[in-house]
Formats: sequence, C-alpha cells, structure tokens
Amino acid sequence: MVPITYYLLLAAALFCMGMFGVLVRTNALVVFMCVELMLNAVNLTFLAFARMHGNGLGHVSAFFVIAVAAAEAAIGLAIVIAVFRSRGTVNVDDIRTMKH
Amino acid sequence: MNLPNITLADFLPMLPAIIMVVAASVLLLSEVFLSATASRGYQAVLTVVAAAASGAVAVGLMFEPPQEVFLGFGVLDPFSSFLTLVVSVGLALAALSAVGFLRRRGAERGEFYALMLFASAGMSLLAMSSEFITIFVNIEVLSIATYALTAYLRRGTRPSEAGFKYFILGAFSSAVLLYGTALLYGATGTTKLNDMAGPLQQALATSPALVYVGAVLIAAGFAFKVAAVPFHMWTPDVYEGAPTPVTALMSAGVKAAAFASLVRVFVTVGKGMDPKLPLMLFATLALLTMVAGNLMAIPQRNVKRMLAYSSIAHAGYLLLGVAALFVAAPGEHFRLLSASSLSGGTPLDVARSDALRGILYYLLAYTFSATGAFAMVSALERREDEEKGTAWDLERFAGLAQRRPGWAFAMAAFMLSLGGIPPTVGFMSKLLIFQAAIDVGLVGLTVVAVLSSAAGAYYYLRVVVYMFMHPIPEGAQPLERNWGTEAALVIATVAVVLLGILPGHVTDWLAQAGTLFGQ
Repeated sequence: MVPITYYLLLAAALFCMGMFGVLVRTNALVVFMCVELMLNAVNLTFLAFARMHGNGLGHVSAFFVIAVAAAEAAIGLAIVIAVFRSRGTVNVDDIRTMKH
Repeated sequence: MNLPNITLADFLPMLPAIIMVVAASVLLLSEVFLSATASRGYQAVLTVVAAAASGAVAVGLMFEPPQEVFLGFGVLDPFSSFLTLVVSVGLALAALSAVGFLRRRGAERGEFYALMLFASAGMSLLAMSSEFITIFVNIEVLSIATYALTAYLRRGTRPSEAGFKYFILGAFSSAVLLYGTALLYGATGTTKLNDMAGPLQQALATSPALVYVGAVLIAAGFAFKVAAVPFHMWTPDVYEGAPTPVTALMSAGVKAAAFASLVRVFVTVGKGMDPKLPLMLFATLALLTMVAGNLMAIPQRNVKRMLAYSSIAHAGYLLLGVAALFVAAPGEHFRLLSASSLSGGTPLDVARSDALRGILYYLLAYTFSATGAFAMVSALERREDEEKGTAWDLERFAGLAQRRPGWAFAMAAFMLSLGGIPPTVGFMSKLLIFQAAIDVGLVGLTVVAVLSSAAGAYYYLRVVVYMFMHPIPEGAQPLERNWGTEAALVIATVAVVLLGILPGHVTDWLAQAGTLFGQ
C-alpha cells in the first residue's frame, strides 16, 4: 500500500504548482484553472487524511469543495466573458485600467 | 443509520439569515413577472425591511445564553448576534444608497438586491459558524454573491476588471484557507472548533509542523479577506471599480464577517499553542496594515480610492484588537486608561473581553461611517466621468457646503468619525480598542496606532477642507436628490453622532456582546 505521506506530498506539490501558476501566468483562463488545481490539491489532502483517520469527515469535505468549486466556476467564467466583451482580450497584463 | 436530531429550535438562531434568504427569493421571483419598464422602487424598500427585521431578531437573540446549534456546526452567542446586527445595518445603508445609484444608470433590477441579501445571509451565518467546512461554505456564499455584485455593471471596463481581480484573488485566498483547514483536519481528525481543543494538544506534541503550517495558511487566507498588508493588493482596485453601494457593503459587511470568523477560529486554534505565535503574527500584521494603509491613502486625490486605503488602515486597528486577545498576561499598565472596577474574572479575562468588545464596537462604528461616506460618494459621482476616472476626484467635493449644506455636514461627520476625532463614534471605538491593547501591555503597538491615525486625520480633513473652504468649481452639474441616499445619510449621521456622545449605555449593553462561546 502506498503510504499517506506520498499522497500528501503529491497534494502539496499540486497546490504549489497552482499557486505559482496564479502568480505568474498571464492568460485569465489558465489562472482560473490554476485556482481549480489548488482546490483539487486540497481535496486530495482531505481524502488522504480521511483514510488515515478512518472517518468520513474528509470525504464529506471533498464533496462540499467540489460543489463550491462548481459554483465558483460559473461566476468566474461569466466574469471572464464580461472582461473579454469589454476589452477583447483575457490577458491579465492588459487588465489594468486602474492605476495607483 | 441514525439520523441526527435536528429540531426547530436549531433553526431559530438562523432566523436573521432565513429572513434575508426569503426576501432575496421573493425579489428574484417577482422579477419574472415585471416588464422592463415597471417601477422597481419597492425592491430597495423590501431589502431595507428585511434588513431591519433581521437586525431586530439579532438584537433579541443577543440575550440568549451562548449555546451550540446544529450539532456543533454553529454556535449562537452574543458575539455572533451582534455581528448579525452590524451586517444588517451595513446591508440597509448600502441598499438605500443603491436606489439613486441604480436609477441613474437604468440598472435597477431585483437581482442586485437579491445578491446583496444572499451575501448578507452568508455573512450572518459565517459569524455563527464553528466548523471548518461550514466556515468555508459561508465564506463562499458571501464571496460569490459579492463577485457577481462587483461585476454587476458589466458593460463598463472598470467593473469587469474589478470583478475579475476580486474573483481571482478571492478564490486564491479561499483555496489557501481551505488547505490550512485540511492540514488542521489531518492533525486533529475533526473539523469542529468545539471538539478541537483536546486533539490539538496531542497534535502539537506529535506533529506540531502540521498544526503551525495549517494555522499560518488559515491566517493568510483570512488576511486576504480582511485586506491586511501584505495581502491587500486587490483592495484599492476592487473598491474603486465596484459599483459604489457594493463597495459600501464590502467595506462594512464582508470585513466584519471575516473578522468575526478570524477571531472565532484563532481563539480556539490558539489554545494550547505558545501564545507568542498568534500574538507575533497578528501584531506584525496590525503594524504593517496600520502604517502602510495610512501612508498609501495620503497621496490619493480620488476619494473612493482614498476610502479603500483607509479601509485597509482600519483593518490594522482591528488587528491590534485581535492581537490583544492573545497576550498571556495583563501588562503593567493595566487599567491605566479606565478606572472602572473589575467586574468578575481575572484581569486577563477582563482585558480579553474588553478587546472583543472593542472589536465589535469598532466594526459597528466603521460600518456606519464607511457606508455613510460611500453613500455620499455615490450621490456625487456621475456616470459620464467614470471611464475617465475623474468621477471621484476631490474637486467633486469643492464647495459642497454652499450647494448642499446638509450633505456637507453629514460627510464631515463621517470623515471626523473615520479619522477618530471626537465627538463621533469613530473616536469612542478607537478609544476602546487602544484601551484594551494598553491593558494587556501592547504599549508600543498602540503608540504606533495613535500616531498613524493622527497621520490619517490629514487625508480625512482634506475632504472637509474642500467641502467648506473651496469655491464651487465652474460648470458644476446640478446635484440630484434621491430619497434613498438622503435616508442613508440621515441614519448614518444620527448614529455616528449619537453613538459618539452617549456611549455609556451602549457600551454597558455591549459589555455582554464580548461573550464568545466556550470562553
């Protein structure tokens, strides 16, 4: 059997990849997918720990996260479309009308 | 399989949120039967009535003893009920200022008010949540509604840009917070805050790294939500780009609910940890946030953006109150500022309960002053100037005292209150927080807070100077009056002044609002 630690390390790696992607990628859709990657890394962590503790809380949590992520995707994609309609681009670097 | 035993009594504490959700559903459904040109004046009225009803129920619930509801997934205590009251106030004032704002843009729709109500229901429930998944779901309920509200005027470039930035950073911070809760679940095997104390002690002995990393990630997630420096980058752009009534709701309700949840989580998670760690964490955040927020606000000529930076600074003062909760022993200057006798409990308990009370009072004070100020900003801005970015320039306020003396007086009251100048509620609330911080010995940090709030007076008073001492600019457009905005201004001004000059009764009554379940 694969030890729990491996799952946790994989989840941590995925989470860091997602975080890095949010910070450096310029395409809004890729940024958005990186956020989803972070949430799925969290799901993997929850499931690994649920296996370790032998209780169902982690499973329930993962389902809630999936449901919320779906709601978030609906709003997020709608906003990306609104951005594209008003500017004709989804490049994060171009989305900065407001200056300090 | 045994089903959990949930009775009607479990739903009573959620009544404020239920009222908001029902009102929101009515608004959404009624929109189906309305033609495009039908009068929609009732929508704001319904929202305000729902907010008033929720606030009244919350006041009633404040006298209930602290108790667990829904099998420990939530708690009802005076702290959460008071927060629901703050949220209701913010919602009512934001909805009133939205009437004229939406009508001028021809964007009056039931969805706008329904989203505001859904967001407020999420805030009210977040203040009650005492389990990590419940907290996460409620954060998302309020955030998703606020993302949609931010991008509500979707044809402009600014609202969609603000909505996009808010969405990405909001989702990012939620994920960070959630990863922290996953690690804490791994360390303790439970997600309920009330069951966590015991397992947390064991986990600190066996796998401290998991607990500490989890706690830091949760703190970072909340720091994003309350706009603490260095997690504040989104705030100015989002506050500036969002429709002004939405900015009012964000600065009041979202921040208040996030602070309530932050306090509830860390009072539990901080137990058993070396108290120096949360203290250091929040003291550092408070220091950075106070100083940076005020410094960045000073050069702003755009009043809306200035208020955004000022909301960062105010988060700093609130974080000072949060830091005061984690001091292990009362300082040597205990009761330096107030001679009142100890009302039971050790000095440390009294100081902590004072700090909690200070945080709550500050949230109420900030809600009245900030939503009032944003209502004023929304009354002065014109749609045509929005894309040019001059809609919120200080020039807009020039000579306001001659054009609309009442408005200028109200705005002056809000500015004095935000700056912490007596005789306003802003002064009293700052005093309560600073007093609690000195009582627990955070003297140095409090001195920084006082100095930075003195620096803050500069940019607040500049608005007052423009209103009262500058001439009316040439070619100024006539100012439109609207019953909603004026009602919001009157309510907020009366509250700011009254709560500032008769704080005795209110603070006595508030003394019990500092009661947190399990404390």
